[in-house]
Amino acid sequence: MYQSNRMWASASFVGVLIIIGMPLWWKTTEVYRVSLPYEKISSFKPLSHFVTTELKVLANDDATASKIVSEIQKAFAESDIIKIKIEKTVMSERQQHILRSVVDMEKAVEELASTLDLDQENIFHVVQKKSLSHNIWVGNERIMFFDDEKASETIVKALDGWIYQTSVLRGARSDTPDQARSTRFPPESAYHITLSIVHPRPDTMQVVWNAAEAVEDYIGSFVDELSSLHNFTLKSQWLHLLDFEFQAREIKEASEWGRHFAVRQDRLSLLLTRLEERAATHVSELSTINLALYIVPCDKAPIIIYDNEGRKNPLSIQAFMSPKWGGVVIASPPAEQCSQQVREFEPSVGQVMGAFVSHLRELLGITKKDAIEGAHLEPLRSVSPRRWEVDALLRIRTLEQVTSAERTLQSLAQLLEEISNIVINDEVGASIAAAVSELEAGAGEGAGADAARAGRAHAHAQRAFTHPSLLALLYFPDDQKYAIYIPLFLPIMFPVVLSLRILLLWFMGKPVHKEKTD
Amino acid sequence: MAFTNLMLVFIFNLLYLSLSSGIEIPEEFQKSNHTNNWAVLVDTSRFWFNYRHVANVLSIYRSVKRLGIPDSQIILMISDDMACNPRNPRPATIFNSAHEQINVYGDDVEVDYRGYEVSVENFIRLLTGRVPPDTPRSKQLLTDEGSNILIYLTGHGGDGFLKFQDSEEVTSQELADALEQMWQKKRYNEIFFIIDTCQASSMYEKFYSPNILATASSLVGEDSLSHHVDSAIGVYIIDRYTYYVLEFLENVHPNSKRTMSEFLAVCPKSACLSTVGVRKDLFNRDPSKVPITDFFGSVRPVILTTDPINIVETPKRKKKTENKTKVQVKRDYVPQFPMHLVQVT
Repeated sequence: MYQSNRMWASASFVGVLIIIGMPLWWKTTEVYRVSLPYEKISSFKPLSHFVTTELKVLANDDATASKIVSEIQKAFAESDIIKIKIEKTVMSERQQHILRSVVDMEKAVEELASTLDLDQENIFHVVQKKSLSHNIWVGNERIMFFDDEKASETIVKALDGWIYQTSVLRGARSDTPDQARSTRFPPESAYHITLSIVHPRPDTMQVVWNAAEAVEDYIGSFVDELSSLHNFTLKSQWLHLLDFEFQAREIKEASEWGRHFAVRQDRLSLLLTRLEERAATHVSELSTINLALYIVPCDKAPIIIYDNEGRKNPLSIQAFMSPKWGGVVIASPPAEQCSQQVREFEPSVGQVMGAFVSHLRELLGITKKDAIEGAHLEPLRSVSPRRWEVDALLRIRTLEQVTSAERTLQSLAQLLEEISNIVINDEVGASIAAAVSELEAGAGEGAGADAARAGRAHAHAQRAFTHPSLLALLYFPDDQKYAIYIPLFLPIMFPVVLSLRILLLWFMGKPVHKEKTD
Repeated sequence: MAFTNLMLVFIFNLLYLSLSSGIEIPEEFQKSNHTNNWAVLVDTSRFWFNYRHVANVLSIYRSVKRLGIPDSQIILMISDDMACNPRNPRPATIFNSAHEQINVYGDDVEVDYRGYEVSVENFIRLLTGRVPPDTPRSKQLLTDEGSNILIYLTGHGGDGFLKFQDSEEVTSQELADALEQMWQKKRYNEIFFIIDTCQASSMYEKFYSPNILATASSLVGEDSLSHHVDSAIGVYIIDRYTYYVLEFLENVHPNSKRTMSEFLAVCPKSACLSTVGVRKDLFNRDPSKVPITDFFGSVRPVILTTDPINIVETPKRKKKTENKTKVQVKRDYVPQFPMHLVQVT
């Protein structure tokens, strides 16, 4: 009887410790991890994305139209980065009359705009207009004029290099950054733009400039066109007594000043360091695009920048820009102002803001257009970007954000699988699920309408990856977990495990102890 | 005996320096593709007797600033309890040599993480970018895929760990994982990792991400030693490895043609008394063709504007009508004696 009591006592120990206790301990010390769609994430292929767009070809007769369409289709057939849906039409009598009678290109576009819908995004028109001075003409609206079917090669080159920018699209999708990607700011939902007017010697000269108005009008009108992509906060400030030693060499010449100061290009990057000390760009948590206007004091004026090969900058405006930072314009006062008693300098607002807007274009992703033989690109005369440039930027940013979101999710999934003790809490799980659903919904489609979706997917993926809770060292790794519990429970488990053998023998009815025999 | 040692060290240094100026400079450097430079300088120890570690870090900070990296791209983490320590006979200064010529603390030092903020958690958060949402930008490592980062760690270390603030440790595995996460998120182009502690090379043994060049002041099983004591201040003032590194960097200027392999050979065993360890298998360029300014200087590409826009008509932004009515703020004097708060019985 005592033996059966003892056996039941041991059995209850075994029951509580091993059968109830161990699973309970295992469950309560497991790491909270929200289940993630690992299969969907690993099935993403970032390099397989492409953009889609529409193209309408209008010509005087069917033969020309067909020829142009077939040339374009042939050229873009193997392109894996862009899929163009081409529609061809023969122009109506009224349209042909407009194009024959109106000589001025801008007016022709205006008149034609009533018959075609040029405001629809992501649709480009290629229209025939006889007796052009070049093979093709491209302006600010979503329309390109071509002369006749002999211009087909030029049309293809212009579509590839100017309108669709396939090389920049490829760079946006690739693993390694290309030049355009290294220049433009990384995609974000909002930016700050700060215009700083740097006035080193306010005691010697009065500068007349309404910074707030200039920023609001010029920069404001520019960024309003990009409002579908990013939000912008515009700021301006004056930085007085910020001096910089250009180490300029005085060169005598025959001009109103009698001299100019030559500044080498490699000295300019140090100006950016000096500006950063006081431009207070860290005030906001968003990226800041810095635009600085440096007013040269009279005794150091005029300053002309010489590039690294020693060539003089011939333009009337001395300006430079730094990728992913911003731009600087160096304004020198005219000689007549400096010779007066009370010096007053009013830099030309149009010239200065023209330089700044060209910097902004590159920093936000609108690249320079190389010259194509036989093609005429109407130069910009206002701050607004060309309509088809905004379309191209939308396509580039969409592709960039989609591929970046996919890559981020893939590396995050790999990380979470590798380090098994990182807690995945609800927020991170929700962000990842939201990003995956946005990417799936946009799968197979192209750009344009999905710019917003790409932006959301990118934001969710970023938020998931940089969530502050994902820190491996906040949680116990497995070996430390065992190192804590084993010294506590192993001594207790020893006698329990050893008594298992005796228990088994007792349950099976065999004698527990060897009978003593004489 | 000590004097002859000193003389030998001196002569050896002279010989080494004269020889190094005669080393042939490679004709062309392997092209670097980084677009900006960052530096993360960490001193992991605190308390007065660890003066030399702060002097180490601040000397590297001064060199790196002199060579062009701006404060906005340097993250300086020190416990900052040296300059205003009550035991400091030269208050508000930190010197890195017994001659007390340069005050490396100066008046323009920008410390990003000070005091107890220098912790393992903050360091790993800084590297991986997983900072709390209200962290100011100056305390974040805002690198991108084109950044070359110089990481310098100093303090007390052991085999496989580095001691932070006398109370916690970061292991080499954690550091390797953090760098791998940086690589996954494309947060660096190349990293140059310098560590000046005891048994320092154990910290880089576990690295497995590409494009990292690492050097340490001592191998596993060896101690890194300090250089000399300043009897006026009463503590060891600088470590040997960093002392010779600074000597080397004094001759480097922004247009210098010195290479990384010269830097990696900067402290022979006779000078440092511990063997300098180097790990270059993860680095895909040849260090003898990499200029030192790739990591210690600063690249800021500058593109001259050749086509400004010729704005013909002045734009005018449509003003959004604001419905704010200006309320006249009434200002009043506070009663001189707050009798309204006192119960008058």
